[in-house]
Amino acid sequence: MSATYDVIVIGAGHNGLTTAAALGRAGRRVLVVEARDVAGGLAASEEFHPGYRSAGLLHDTSGVGSDIVAALGLERHGLRLRRQAADVLTLGDPGDALLLCGEPRRAVAEIESRSAHDAQSYVRYRDALDTWRGILRPFLNEPPVDLLAPESSGAWDLLKRGLRLRRLGRRDLLELLRLTPMCVADWLGEWFETDLLKAGLALPAVAGTFMAPRSPGSNATLLLREGAAGPGIETGAHTLIEALQRAAEAAGVEVRMGAPVSRVGVEGHVRGVRLADGEELQAAVVAASCHPATLFLRLLEPSRVPLRVAHAIGRYRSRGTTAHVLLALRSPLRFRGRDDAPEFARIAGGIDAIERAFDCAKHRRMPHAPVLEVHVPSLASPELAPEGHAVVSILAHFVPYALDGGWDESRRTQLGDRIEETLAAHCDGLDVAARQVATPVDLEARYALPGGNIHHGEHSLDQLLVRPIPECNQYRTPIPGLFLCGSGSHPGGGLSCTPGMLAARAILAR
Amino acid sequence: MSGESAASTPRQASRPSRSSYDAIVIGGGHNGLVCAAYLARAGRSVLLLERRHLLGGSAVSEEIYPGFIYSSCSYIVSLLRPQIVRELDLARHGLEIIPLESTFTPYPDGRSLARWSDPARTREEIRRFSARDADVYPEFGLAMGRLAHFAKNVVDVPAPDPASLDPRELLKLRRLGRTFLDFDGDLRWLNLKLMTMSATDFLSLWFENEQLMAPMSASGIIGTLLGVRSPGTAYVLLHHYMGEIDGAYRAWGFSRGGMGRISEAIGRAAEAHAAEIVTRAGVQRVLLRSGKARGVVLESGEELQARVVISALDPRRTFLQLVGEEHLDAEFVTAIRRFKLRGSSGKVNLALDRLPDFKARPGDGPHIRGDISIAPDFDYLERAYDQAKYGSFSERPFMNIVIPSLVDPSVAPPGKHVMSIFVQWAPYHLAEGAHTWPQRREAFADAVVSTLAEYCPGLPDAILHRQVLTPWDLEQEYGLSEGNIFHGELSMEQLLFLRPAAGWARYRTPIRNLWMCGSGTHPGGGVMGGPGELAAKTLLKAGEI
Repeated sequence: MSATYDVIVIGAGHNGLTTAAALGRAGRRVLVVEARDVAGGLAASEEFHPGYRSAGLLHDTSGVGSDIVAALGLERHGLRLRRQAADVLTLGDPGDALLLCGEPRRAVAEIESRSAHDAQSYVRYRDALDTWRGILRPFLNEPPVDLLAPESSGAWDLLKRGLRLRRLGRRDLLELLRLTPMCVADWLGEWFETDLLKAGLALPAVAGTFMAPRSPGSNATLLLREGAAGPGIETGAHTLIEALQRAAEAAGVEVRMGAPVSRVGVEGHVRGVRLADGEELQAAVVAASCHPATLFLRLLEPSRVPLRVAHAIGRYRSRGTTAHVLLALRSPLRFRGRDDAPEFARIAGGIDAIERAFDCAKHRRMPHAPVLEVHVPSLASPELAPEGHAVVSILAHFVPYALDGGWDESRRTQLGDRIEETLAAHCDGLDVAARQVATPVDLEARYALPGGNIHHGEHSLDQLLVRPIPECNQYRTPIPGLFLCGSGSHPGGGLSCTPGMLAARAILAR
Repeated sequence: MSGESAASTPRQASRPSRSSYDAIVIGGGHNGLVCAAYLARAGRSVLLLERRHLLGGSAVSEEIYPGFIYSSCSYIVSLLRPQIVRELDLARHGLEIIPLESTFTPYPDGRSLARWSDPARTREEIRRFSARDADVYPEFGLAMGRLAHFAKNVVDVPAPDPASLDPRELLKLRRLGRTFLDFDGDLRWLNLKLMTMSATDFLSLWFENEQLMAPMSASGIIGTLLGVRSPGTAYVLLHHYMGEIDGAYRAWGFSRGGMGRISEAIGRAAEAHAAEIVTRAGVQRVLLRSGKARGVVLESGEELQARVVISALDPRRTFLQLVGEEHLDAEFVTAIRRFKLRGSSGKVNLALDRLPDFKARPGDGPHIRGDISIAPDFDYLERAYDQAKYGSFSERPFMNIVIPSLVDPSVAPPGKHVMSIFVQWAPYHLAEGAHTWPQRREAFADAVVSTLAEYCPGLPDAILHRQVLTPWDLEQEYGLSEGNIFHGELSMEQLLFLRPAAGWARYRTPIRNLWMCGSGTHPGGGVMGGPGELAAKTLLKAGEI
């Protein structure tokens, strides 16, 4: 006799858990099935060397909004939001560093030491972002308007959203339309003269994309991130997973690890899932937080997928450009010439350095000088490493999934060496006890990311406006009862939990 | 010498017949001429002032080497709006377009591909590269044709204003929205993709073979400082399907006698309507009185009065040079300064003693009577772009080549030929500074010739003369700021209601009685005439003259 649920959620990443917790709190009987032995997906904490645990590879927690934290009661389950954004150390040539402070006044003072012009600009830049945030956040936190069939949203909804845009005023509205399709290099260039500052602000916008600072449309990803940005959470992404898991379980959600789904059952309507071990689980609703390609091209019987959907998903771009390195250090991470020990650092060089790293990915080569986002999770969560030791998590950008000649052990090692050397050039020695290197191909295998893209599909203007494809742009799919609830849906990847939350609402509104 | 000499005849020095006009148009490029012609046609007294000795701006024919007529800058016509040809009766004034029959691409591996205006022949050619791509080629053409049809709704009217609260504007937006919604769902999505994707990604939605896609993708980057993999380059592919000659989409052509003949024809049309055209009359500045434009001051110091002044120059020249920022508010000046011009292309024109063979397909067959693309694969194009990103010209560039003398013998002595080579990327801003271009000019041309010689080994020995135009030269000689052939990049943030500045996309300027009609306004660059036509019509409708 197979078990029966109201909803089965595929995948216990942050979005899957969010959907499950929200549905559980609404009284639905929910089961989450996770292929791996650990919850969290990309944000999962794992022991990668005896005594050293990672905090997942999603460093940036600024997308976790206070509304979702409140809606799921995550504070009761141990999650703490920061009061203000974390400081990020931006490193150029060795010895050249700029601290981007979360606290605005300190930020201005730091920038002033480089350029008085930029310090003044920075104040206006933050003001401008605040203005855009006021308009972007509601758009990101609501289901998308179906641009291809706006009439389907209903006249009232369209009018409401239209009026909100109009409230910006003529000047700001035109400015928003101007800067969205721009490239970050040009837009930041309108504000700032200090290359390192521009690079530090540009890198998070192009991280995980197949775009560089000079790629048109990259400014949309900057706005996307800034539009949702809050102060972030106090500790690493792994603590968000713990809180989500507790919130879900407190709401009666069942979470099963090591339970990979082999088939989503459909007979006109979704019937449930079959696990790899043959067990059948029934549910009237299945919500898939996995990559859309995994759902439509692997988990569903081909005959159940409308041809045009299969076709469109096949064209959904999901090229990975990110590698991940974990370092277990026997001593704290110290940047040369600095007394502070920032939790976050970006080794970006400058706008051209990011651009050149991207050129390598574009030409399917290993970057000579990868650009790095460095996170030291053991600073905020000392339990991740033995006392006095450190865990360093590094996202290396513009490492191509489709490396010429393919990835193998020696190239993985070579990549790890390059990344470690790049970091070491900025540090007073690195006492490395262990190192784990994951290429985009490794990430694909470990996290079921077709193409290796960490956002479940590239962030590009077309794939942000309609995500992933027109037929399932609003969490529903053409198969009754089957929903998408992962980063492959609006508003996309990164640690926001918004796709999960909006999908839960779509399921409840069904 | 017969009146049909191919070169644009240097105009006899003439003088304005009066000191005051309804309208003075600054700049005798095709847009200035179109604007002047329309105003004159409506009965207004019009004076057009051109700094050089001949008309045409960037659409000129010049006999720089005896007997050979170069279309020095623009070299091919595709987007010239059909209503302009009709309404100004340009055929009667000497315009004759010879349609291009093919696009030919030789590859380093010795293969080659020609795409013909006859679709069946094109499919045969593509089939040698990919049977699958040959099958979907017609489908692609069909889809692009539909999208081009939609684009015409945007190109042939003044830019819509999405921020306006004027009910008439909202009605226009609604009408545009309806046209979009009249499309079926697939085409709507395709339209969205076309507007945002890179040329390579967009083409990859249909095709698998890079040798086919690379030359197609290259049309997406002409005149921009972007690569074929840069998002936002797909929509330019549409230009290939928007060109209309005799109502047929996807039609490009040569202007008999060179591009200057187009300008001459428009000039004659304007004069037939009693417009006055004066060459060798550079304008020093716009004459302002109590904040309003009242006329112009010539470089000679002479003052001429007009009720309105219309500038066909690019926005930077118009406002920062002819007006002066002290007369404009700071926000507008900032917007004009931000308007990106950065030219990215150059031109090499060759006078040839004989026709060299293309290794991949020898002989002077029909394949070289159209345009010829040196764009063998995506990586080649991206490497060429990469060099430009960091401030060097491409050592192995993308080239678009035509040999107009094959179909129009009037441009070269018998048996001889002219070869026009459009070269991308040649960034105005070299790492060592734009002013170093004159020292790099010959090296740039050498790179062009030696790259082309790989496909066409006999070429270097056949060259009698070469004219090299770097972006620096385009700026110095043809008045294109930063050498930008479109008076400003055709990137999304500089199109439609944002061209050249938010709130100033309707040809009017912050200076009363000063208007714009150049490629820096909607619908943008190319030998299209749209800006000139729409500016004139908007001005007449406004009833200010």
